[in-house]
Amino acid sequence: MRQWARLLWPRTYMDRQRRAGLLFVFPALVYFSLVFLVPLVESVLGSFYRTVPGGVSQFVGLRLYTKVLTDGTFWQSVRNTVTLLLMSVPATVLLALAAALGLHRLARLRWRNAWAAMYFLPFSVSLVAAALIWQWIYDPVYGFLNHLLSLIGIPPQKWLQSFDQVLPSIAVVNVWVRLGFDTMIFLAALQAIPAEYYEAAGIDGASRSQALRHVTLPLLNPQILMVCILELIFNFKIFDQVYATTQGGPAGASQTVIMLLYDTAFKYFRLGDASVMAIFVFVSLLLVTLLQWRFFRKTVEY
Amino acid sequence: MSRAAAPVDGRLAQRPASARGRAGRVLLGWLPAVLVAGGALVVFFPLFWMAVTSLKAAPEIQRVPLQVLPDRWLNLDNYREVFQRQPFGRFLLNSALVASISALSSLVFSALAGYGFAKFRFPGRDVFFFAIIGILMVPFQSVVVPLYLWMNRLGLLDSYPGILAPDLVSVFGVFLMRQAIEVVPSDYIDAARIDGSSELGIFWRVVVPMVKPALATLLIVKFMWTWNELFWPLVIVNSPSMKVVTLGLISFTNMYFIEYHLVTAAAVLSVLPILALFLVCQKWVVRAVVMSGLKG
Repeated sequence: MRQWARLLWPRTYMDRQRRAGLLFVFPALVYFSLVFLVPLVESVLGSFYRTVPGGVSQFVGLRLYTKVLTDGTFWQSVRNTVTLLLMSVPATVLLALAAALGLHRLARLRWRNAWAAMYFLPFSVSLVAAALIWQWIYDPVYGFLNHLLSLIGIPPQKWLQSFDQVLPSIAVVNVWVRLGFDTMIFLAALQAIPAEYYEAAGIDGASRSQALRHVTLPLLNPQILMVCILELIFNFKIFDQVYATTQGGPAGASQTVIMLLYDTAFKYFRLGDASVMAIFVFVSLLLVTLLQWRFFRKTVEY
Repeated sequence: MSRAAAPVDGRLAQRPASARGRAGRVLLGWLPAVLVAGGALVVFFPLFWMAVTSLKAAPEIQRVPLQVLPDRWLNLDNYREVFQRQPFGRFLLNSALVASISALSSLVFSALAGYGFAKFRFPGRDVFFFAIIGILMVPFQSVVVPLYLWMNRLGLLDSYPGILAPDLVSVFGVFLMRQAIEVVPSDYIDAARIDGSSELGIFWRVVVPMVKPALATLLIVKFMWTWNELFWPLVIVNSPSMKVVTLGLISFTNMYFIEYHLVTAAAVLSVLPILALFLVCQKWVVRAVVMSGLKG
């Protein structure tokens, strides 16, 4: 307590230094408290109240939790989100790894930077624009994809409008959007590996594939794990792509958790229910992040 | 060293071999290059497809043996129509304004906080820093309902301050600036202090000039992020005149009938500034991505 008092009434040079440091971080601290911490607490509190039309809130205890967590629609959206995640994350990470390894190995490839930029470009495009471009490619009648299929004699598919194909179709958009991000991280990590490691491997008579397996991949392990977790978080929060294209349809087949949260809060104004979903999302991602920390403690040292 | 001499063209295959073996090796040497380039073209194709479609007239894109290239290059009718149908110029301006303010504000407050965390010792410093980093674990969607209610109470729905409210400082910015300022030698700061410079003077005249690359990185990346944002604007904006470009894009779609010649033109308009910024500043963006990746 006394050290805080001395910050307010500094007596020594060191006190003034401490106060200066605190003043530098103060605006950011206040801002983040206002924009994240206080609303988070309010979300938790809000999940115990039912808003009656007319603006009066009524304390209902855990009733909204039991309501939301026993709702089939909610679990369907969780299932959809997890399905999307399982389709998108491994594909993104593997393709990005392949692209980065290729780009890195082909150091003398002509126009290498231009090829690399092509992989990175989608990363700068908004998710809305990405989704709309792909919706056009997926168009059942005039879309490019069905045109390609017709060339090899496959009948046109409905893609985003089909109950079974909508999730894989959105997963492709996710992969397209995120590929560049992951490739950048892998490429940077590859360039940071000292050449001596490969020289040593070469002297020991390792073939290129052995060097990849025993030198490159183990050294890349932290980045691979980290990218997996980042993708997990990104894909769990998927909203823009779905909102811009299917709005959760057809018949809820692409309804994701955040999409449902948005509809519940801002279409039906059931703010209490939405708060329960918000807490669910928060706790889920918190668990993912904590798992990540456990993982990292074990794997970063090599 | 074997890696530097990677046989892109198979020239490293020095052992005398039969003609067929050598051809095979040449092919194998080329294969990765072909795959990498082919993959790049596949990844690039959707952007190309957007661009060419935006130049085609409506009947042109519905032609049945599909035609890849437009009849008339530099056909800007679709672009003209985009501006006639919707106040798209206003959307672009709104986005530019919001993204610039959010980037500049993040720059100032992140740099101040980064300096405080990097170069000062004060009680609670580490706790505060980890609390801020911890915010990365809070998905924005978890706090959106209370934020919306606040903005409603403050009468900030459908206003620039309302759109900007959650975007004025970035956690990533604080982290990036702390990392950048930590490597500034403290000797310079101490020397300025001995010369009698004020703390803010030291920040402005000594620290800021030395971390310009990091500041540029943050500026560009934060601008891109805010420009591309959808969720919060969707919640807070009602009137057409306050729409940002992502919302403007969505207003060209309709569940039952989509005019792709207009959608793609609008998409090009929304993407082009960011794409150009990205290409010019690729070095910084990559840096930011790698940093944001490392932060986990």
